[in-house]
Amino acid sequence: MKTLALTTALIAASFAMPVTAESLRIGVATAQTGALAPFDAPVMEGVHIAVDEINAAGGIGGTTKIELIEKDVRSDAAQTSIAVQELVDQGVSFLILPCDADPALAAIGIVSSAEIPAVSTCASSPTLPLVGGDYMFANFPGDNVQATVSAEWAWGQGMKSGYILYSPDTQYTTMPLYFAEVFEKLGGTMLGQDTYSIGQQDFSAIVTRIASLPEQPDVIMTSAYEPDFPSFLKALRAAGVTSQVIGSDGIDSPTTLSLGDAAEGLVFTTAGHAAPGSALEGFNKTYEKIMGHPSETVFNAVGYDLIKVVEAAQLAAGSTDPKALRDAMANLENVQGVTSTITYKGTDGMPVRQVSLIRVKAGGRELVGQPSPTADLIPAPRMQ
Amino acid sequence: MDLFLQQTVNAISLGGTYALLALGLAVVFSIMGLINFAHGELMTIAGYVLMFCGLAGMPFVLSILLAVSASVVAAVLMERIAFRPVRNASGATLLVTSFAVSMVLQVLFQNLISVRSQPVLLPQILSESVRIGGFVIGVNKILAIVATVVMLIFLDWFMKRQKAGIAMRAAAEDFAVARLMGIRANTVIAGAFALSGLLAGVAAVLWVSQRASVDPLMGFMPVLKAFIAAILGGLGSLRGAVAGGFLLGFIEIYLAAFLPPEWQEFRDPIGLALVVAVLLIRPNGLIPAPALKAQKV
Repeated sequence: MKTLALTTALIAASFAMPVTAESLRIGVATAQTGALAPFDAPVMEGVHIAVDEINAAGGIGGTTKIELIEKDVRSDAAQTSIAVQELVDQGVSFLILPCDADPALAAIGIVSSAEIPAVSTCASSPTLPLVGGDYMFANFPGDNVQATVSAEWAWGQGMKSGYILYSPDTQYTTMPLYFAEVFEKLGGTMLGQDTYSIGQQDFSAIVTRIASLPEQPDVIMTSAYEPDFPSFLKALRAAGVTSQVIGSDGIDSPTTLSLGDAAEGLVFTTAGHAAPGSALEGFNKTYEKIMGHPSETVFNAVGYDLIKVVEAAQLAAGSTDPKALRDAMANLENVQGVTSTITYKGTDGMPVRQVSLIRVKAGGRELVGQPSPTADLIPAPRMQ
Repeated sequence: MDLFLQQTVNAISLGGTYALLALGLAVVFSIMGLINFAHGELMTIAGYVLMFCGLAGMPFVLSILLAVSASVVAAVLMERIAFRPVRNASGATLLVTSFAVSMVLQVLFQNLISVRSQPVLLPQILSESVRIGGFVIGVNKILAIVATVVMLIFLDWFMKRQKAGIAMRAAAEDFAVARLMGIRANTVIAGAFALSGLLAGVAAVLWVSQRASVDPLMGFMPVLKAFIAAILGGLGSLRGAVAGGFLLGFIEIYLAAFLPPEWQEFRDPIGLALVVAVLLIRPNGLIPAPALKAQKV
């Protein structure tokens, strides 16, 4: 645990004017080791960049410095609730929770009774704020929104039949069920579905079944991520299946781009695209300057945006009181982040933010579009 | 029928990889009575070597040789540093030591390399497939089957015809008597670890060529499968490990292939229930080791 910034109270006290300078204490209970670390660690890099930037400029609004208190929860749900309890005892005004909905929900009892706003680094399940209640927020385009964007795109491309591969192991990996729902609503036919377990190495039985279908699906959708996704995709292409494959934000990673011919033409939804001249491109340059290597994933920028949201909430609330922060956060509108604008007003805690559709082309990213999904088509959150 | 044969090829390929993994555990267990849960980390080490070699632009064949050698060296070092000091301790101590080695290595990978998985550049040929008759067989499946066959033949020759191999078999049967015959305990145990490192290295190449990435926690799943396969086959028995590996591969593939769609979600529990059923009929595994009680030195 490291404390990045210290309170400025002493300095402020030396002024004649009765300025009550305070610091905003943010408790961070994220996974720096274990299975969620590949997502939480890059988000935290972005969080640190934003916090350092704000503190270097004198704090939020020039007065309130941000103090991070960090604990590693080792990707474990029980450890998350222990860490959150410790952070609450230390009097934090805001909480940052792990990337997956399940460990984030493990802390919900403590979060609700302490009445401190909490946001998951990058969980995208729309059920998170729904189950979590008033004090739980997400920080990523929802699964149902991403699935709507990709289903509408597929339908718009003239694809009529679909197939999904999902895993009941986590909320996130059930995203294809939303896809199927929207795709059928649009008029498409689902030819079938398959399940896998997270960490499954071998997809040969499943791809053999797909390859032997009497009619090949136009589109295959999955939210599997590493290492499952590359195994699946390579096996699928080796079995001779040429259908369009659609993935989601979990595969926004260098591995996907290094798969060669197997990944060519693959389309996936994610939280942003570093188009030339975009804010995200600017952030990526800053990241490279600070960290000494290029950003590998959009999750860095997602972390930066998280602190931008906290900053906006603090400015709107005008205090570090957790309740005031929560109310301010729930009413935020069009906060300018580097990935997109972010709106919480009118939602249950699942932010409205842009979804980017990316196509893999010659080992690089190509922007397909950043369409707004049709509101009527977005499925209701599905409780698992 | 075609579909059945195609799925059988899939099962042989997966079962072969499991057999190599289970053999790696069995070789060490037969001699030391230790189930080395850090076996998976040997695979991770081999995987990272493949990754670095890919980045350095080395030919893939050379990368494979380096990766397998790294795994062998790591296995011998593991024995020398972690397991030799506790060799005479109880089975529980050995087991906990192996968990500790595994966790220490995982955290080292996370801190020194990256928490995120790293892409491994593979030759394009591995993603391709060939058509034999009416079958489509992936090149990496053929590679897995060939590698398994070659390794099994090599092991058979090594254990039967080589002095070191014969010594290992003797030690597995009765370590005390083997020592009285002038076999050095340290050599035999180090040899067993080197052999398990070799098996882990070959399995790692097959494993990584399927998933195209390597991450710090990569070793957990294969060692779990190897453990199940080794128990299924009969702990400490090398033939049993091979049989267990293949049986596990067949169970997994056939369930995934032929279970009705509404049951697919419960594929893993059903598969494990079948394993339990086999153990109920044959409590010591398919082909039990002649000397179940591995004696330590």
